[in-house]
Amino acid sequence: MAANLEEIRGALEAIVGRANLSGDAPDMIPYIKDSYSTMMGREVPLPDFVVMPKTAEEVQEIVKLANQHLFPIYPRSFGVNIAGSALPYAGGVVLDLKRMDRIIEINEDTMTATIEPGVTWGRLRKEANKKGLDVIPIGGPYQTSPVGNHLLTNITLYSSKYHCDRAVTLKAVLPNGEILRTGSWASAVGGEVNPYFRYAYGPDMTGMFRGSLGNYGIIVEMVERLRPVAPVEKNVFFGFEELAPCLKAMQAVERLEFSRTCQASNSSMTAHLILSPHRIKDPEQRQKLLARLPNYQITLGLGGTEEMVALFERVANEKIAEYGGKPFCLEPEEMAILNQVAEGASRGIMHMYAPCSGFAAVIGCLPITHVAEINGIVKQIVGKYDLRDPLSGEPLDHQLIVLPYDRCSTVYVEQEILYDPALDQAQLLPVMQCLRDCYAQIVGKYGASHTIPNKTLMKNMLPSYVELLTGFKKMVDPNNIMMPGGPYSLD
Amino acid sequence: MEATNLALVKENVTKCMGCGICRGVWERKDVAMCPVWATGVGFEDSSPRGRVTVAQDILDSHISYSSPLADSVFRCTDCGCCATTCDAMDPNTLEPIVNVPQIVRAMRMDLVENSLVPPLVRDYMKAVHINGNPYKQPQDARGNWAKGSEVPLYSGQEYLFYVGDVGSYDERGQKMARSVAKLLMTGGVSLGILGSEEYSDGNDTMVMGESGLFQYLAEANIAAFKKHSIKKIISLDPHSYNAFANHYDQWGAGFQIQHYSEVLAELLSTGRLSPGRLGIKATYHDPCYLGRHNEIYEAPRKVLGAVPGLKLVEMPRMRKSAFCCGGGGGNFFTDLIGGGECSPNRVRIREALDTGAEVVAVACPLCAKMLEDALKAESLDDRIAVKDISEILLDSFA
Ligand SMILES: Cc1cc2nc3c(=O)[nH]c(=O)nc-3n(C[C@H](O)[C@H](O)[C@H](O)COP(=O)(O)OP(=O)(O)OC[C@H]3O[C@@H](n4cnc5c(N)ncnc54)[C@H](O)[C@@H]3O)c2cc1C
Ligand code: SF4
Ligand code: SF4
Repeated sequence: MAANLEEIRGALEAIVGRANLSGDAPDMIPYIKDSYSTMMGREVPLPDFVVMPKTAEEVQEIVKLANQHLFPIYPRSFGVNIAGSALPYAGGVVLDLKRMDRIIEINEDTMTATIEPGVTWGRLRKEANKKGLDVIPIGGPYQTSPVGNHLLTNITLYSSKYHCDRAVTLKAVLPNGEILRTGSWASAVGGEVNPYFRYAYGPDMTGMFRGSLGNYGIIVEMVERLRPVAPVEKNVFFGFEELAPCLKAMQAVERLEFSRTCQASNSSMTAHLILSPHRIKDPEQRQKLLARLPNYQITLGLGGTEEMVALFERVANEKIAEYGGKPFCLEPEEMAILNQVAEGASRGIMHMYAPCSGFAAVIGCLPITHVAEINGIVKQIVGKYDLRDPLSGEPLDHQLIVLPYDRCSTVYVEQEILYDPALDQAQLLPVMQCLRDCYAQIVGKYGASHTIPNKTLMKNMLPSYVELLTGFKKMVDPNNIMMPGGPYSLD
Repeated sequence: MEATNLALVKENVTKCMGCGICRGVWERKDVAMCPVWATGVGFEDSSPRGRVTVAQDILDSHISYSSPLADSVFRCTDCGCCATTCDAMDPNTLEPIVNVPQIVRAMRMDLVENSLVPPLVRDYMKAVHINGNPYKQPQDARGNWAKGSEVPLYSGQEYLFYVGDVGSYDERGQKMARSVAKLLMTGGVSLGILGSEEYSDGNDTMVMGESGLFQYLAEANIAAFKKHSIKKIISLDPHSYNAFANHYDQWGAGFQIQHYSEVLAELLSTGRLSPGRLGIKATYHDPCYLGRHNEIYEAPRKVLGAVPGLKLVEMPRMRKSAFCCGGGGGNFFTDLIGGGECSPNRVRIREALDTGAEVVAVACPLCAKMLEDALKAESLDDRIAVKDISEILLDSFA
């Protein structure tokens, strides 16, 4: 790109305006790092430019220019993916989409919001609440985008009820500059008035973009599913001493199909959530709390009228008791944190990560049948590397989160290893090796799957599958301008 | 290029996990928002998280200080909201460990030492250096605001009333200084001013990284205070309060400092001031250097609460999470953040209007001016007024 850099700058400036383009290092540095790249010690080159388009038309023009001059494009909504997936691995242009921030519509009948990528969960929640609706939030920061999340992982406490299917339809600028609309929105006749049906006209094209990380184009609008706010919403918490019955109980209660949200977790997770960092560092206080905590817990979100919630709670109690589980309650301020986390997209969850700042996650989606076993494997590998809790200095007890999809048909399992981010690469080596060992076991032995594609995982895929994923990319992106290089490119 | 000051806060920088929480979020009532990021103008380096990333790269020697970088570094109001929203805390002290304002200040000090400050900052420093104030006004005009009033020069009274640059030279600030002085004296407080012997407090000079000039000003003020054996000071300006309360001690200041809102609250609670009735609805804007930096949230509210008939309606973002008016960190003088519909002062005045209040009460001359400018820009003069808490009290007497 270097040869005609000035020409490209001029053309980009003409599209987005001078104030919305920068080629200055200080402006661009925040775009070449995230917590993942820092942990991996991965050096990503500075892009040539960062541009901030305002409209879909501007995005189209940029994409056309990229095809003309063959420069790479890396879109990002808010860049908090913690997976290094929005970094400009081959330089070129970063598209910062924060200025595309319109909430185009909140439709009470379809319970959807049509949004641009620069709309945050926070803003959308505020607007949706005005109409008695709410977002189906993730556990991450409010300051990120539902669009960015659809392109990434899309895991939520609501997964049991809503799976990953929060995006209904979308409008994308394809890598060749054409506009694509998916679902019922795809129709040139009437599509504009009915963008609300995902499964229209054959294969699920909205789903094609889920986890595509920008490889297939740039989403400029998305119809996002919302949920109704029930008159009464309540979270209930149940404790277990052993993991196996806890998981069985979760399975049983989810099959009754009344919960809004569902999650199982271990006491290490709960302790890190509710203990302020100085208390978790104090062995006495930590032991006192751990003694009050069950080893494993199920969090259920209930909703409905007062009578419904009371009935659900009673039924949940009975069902869970069959597996030896009991309701548990902590101090009011501790329960407040757990409730906040149970509502998703909360600061509570940040409270846990932030003091240690570094966490590496072993993630897999698989039948619930294997969860207890892989939890044991991770425990054993963590022990083998003698990893320590960065706050207490004691042997690390990894944090376990189990989120069911579709009433427990499959579960998302995340096992988190906290570490001190100030460690240098050499000190981080055991953490990385531990991660690798864990993945080798849970993928090799149990076929645990991930939610996003990366080059390492692609090596395990059937050639026919990879051919389709990359073939679609080749078809819409013959010049490979979207997201080339790096671990997530589908080139 | 040297990054010596930044290196001192390295620990602070490495603890950032890049979650972006510190950028703030509009709908959380208890969470503040970075006023610079809120403008929607500028790249990721306008956000606190972006600032930390840049700092990291300087420490890793991937880039060095430059003029474009300086422009971005000086577009921070030092409002401190990112430090309150960041959940990365020291496990022992529970203090935020990724204190972005501290990182920004260290970078500014490096930029000053490397002679890389933006022209508007340089002009500010030059004016303070040559004239002793950023208004380029003569030093002996410093006490002119008090002419015609009964405010005496300091001659052994219990308190020094320290007015600061804005109260001394800016028309809006002068008006406020007069009303505060009048009330304090009505309440029987024995006070005097230093007039031409008062020097700039240096707070904004310090925040803009000119530590040498700050020390010079601090020492000049301390010398004047010592010369007059001053033991107790009431400050008009929260910026002065911040400098005195948190920084002057290193040069042996040894005096007691109060913000005037604290003294007024005391006068009201002890019955030394008895306000009249005022049937208005008012909201209160917390100044960053009074609130977040020094945790004085109650006193101004007590003053307002003491006025019979006054109904205080809070803005959703208040106290610790108050939204900055954009006047901190030197931006009041340099205006590096610029105007526009989403400029912090205009956002804030709209928030005040949304409460249904007719008056937005302030306790800082810089906030008063920033918000009044916003009133004009938004053409809201006939719907809401900006008044200092002392002006509201005086109105009640009338
Ligand atoms: C503490 C913490 C907890 C988290 N917990 C959860 C959780 O519980 N569940 C969960 O699902 N996630 C979680 N996350 C990750 C979360 O998904 C992201 O933080 C967030 O949703 C991503 O949004 P973003 O706007 O930052 O996306 P970005 O980082 O901007 O983008 C994500 C990917 O999509 C691409 N992209 C972005 N916008 C577009 C677009 N418009 N068109 C094409 N490509 C685009 C980017 O290139 C990138 O590859 C968590 C993160 C943190 C820090
Ligand atoms: S101190 Fe205020 S203006 Fe500066 S980065 Fe933090 S929140 Fe933004
Ligand atoms: S400064 Fe704190 S809140 Fe901001 S990105 Fe870093 S860790 Fe997150």
